[in-house]
Amino acid sequence: MSVRRIVTVVEEIHTEGGRPLARPARIAVVAAVIDNPWAGQGFVEDLAPGIEAHASDLGALLAPAVLDALGEPAEAYGKAAIVGLDGEIEHGSALIHTLKFGDHFRKAADATTLLPAVEKRGPAGVVFDIPLKHITDATIRSHHQSFEVRVSDAPHPGEIVVALAAAAQGRPQQRLAPLTTEQ
Amino acid sequence: MQEGLKQTDESIGLRKLVLYRDAVLTEAGEAPARPVWRASVAAVVRNPWLGSGPATDLVPEQARIAPVLARLLTDRLIASLGGVDAIESFGKAAIVGTAGEIEHAGALIHTPYFGNLVREFLRGESIICFADTRAEAGESLIVPLWHKTQAATRSHYQTVSVRVSDGPRADEIVVVAAASTGPRPHPRIGDRRTDPAVTTETLEVVSS
Repeated sequence: MSVRRIVTVVEEIHTEGGRPLARPARIAVVAAVIDNPWAGQGFVEDLAPGIEAHASDLGALLAPAVLDALGEPAEAYGKAAIVGLDGEIEHGSALIHTLKFGDHFRKAADATTLLPAVEKRGPAGVVFDIPLKHITDATIRSHHQSFEVRVSDAPHPGEIVVALAAAAQGRPQQRLAPLTTEQ
Repeated sequence: MQEGLKQTDESIGLRKLVLYRDAVLTEAGEAPARPVWRASVAAVVRNPWLGSGPATDLVPEQARIAPVLARLLTDRLIASLGGVDAIESFGKAAIVGTAGEIEHAGALIHTPYFGNLVREFLRGESIICFADTRAEAGESLIVPLWHKTQAATRSHYQTVSVRVSDGPRADEIVVVAAASTGPRPHPRIGDRRTDPAVTTETLEVVSS
């Protein structure tokens, strides 16, 4: 796997809605900019060999890095694959929609739920939003949130940006009634 | 400590901090001679001068706010780049929201209350290069960096892109400190010591 860059973003919200938070709300993202394994090969029918070759390595690279960047236990998480303009969105999906990728994060974070995802094709510097949900119960409404990311100069047409996101809490100032109260 | 942090937040009107760190593993298909990290830390703060006119003296507020920002931003930079000794180049920036003056951005970064302290905390000697602008939330700003003790070191001329997705609001200012742990990935454009003398008389491609 050829990795060109690793980008880390950590956001720490101290005030929301004009009110200070009891403790700063942290979200971290780590993104790897890699060569699209299927670039220049025309339509590749069977993506399995490429998935086998790269998905687990990517998960092993990103999962500990994003938890390290967060610096606190993760309570919500999500993932992203942003494909450069010459690739198929299917290429990005191939790398992240496999247990070989996500299990690294689940294991490292003691998580059980599926990772919500964004898959998108775009030019270098495209803005994307990573959805995050609770790591053990995807119905916990307080933890539904998304995080906006832009990696300058990536993905190039033959590249893919693969990212993991982790939040140490739900939304800042979250105060919606839980799902269970509506049932 | 949490209490101290809260007091700091309120005294400088801090809404959020955004850390961005970039490691180049390969460039043009080859690994750099040594891995280099570039990072920026942006603080989104309330513009303390909102609604005041050009006659307003900016010193009292800049003397109160800028030193706190210098400490906060450099602490985060140092932590994210592996220690102050790892930092080789630096830069700074400010983006003022649309209800403010560009002078308000300058007030928080272009005076000794910020610049001298950033230089001291990052153990530099050079003047700190910068970018500033007025912009809507989410606009990118390219922040220049150069060597922290030898500003003319050409290998260390580089930039880092900074962006806060929802800042600055019209009544806010984004203040940035940035640094890197080394040069560009494959620096090879020489230096002042190796440059030939170039004038219109030595060149044939342009007429003197």
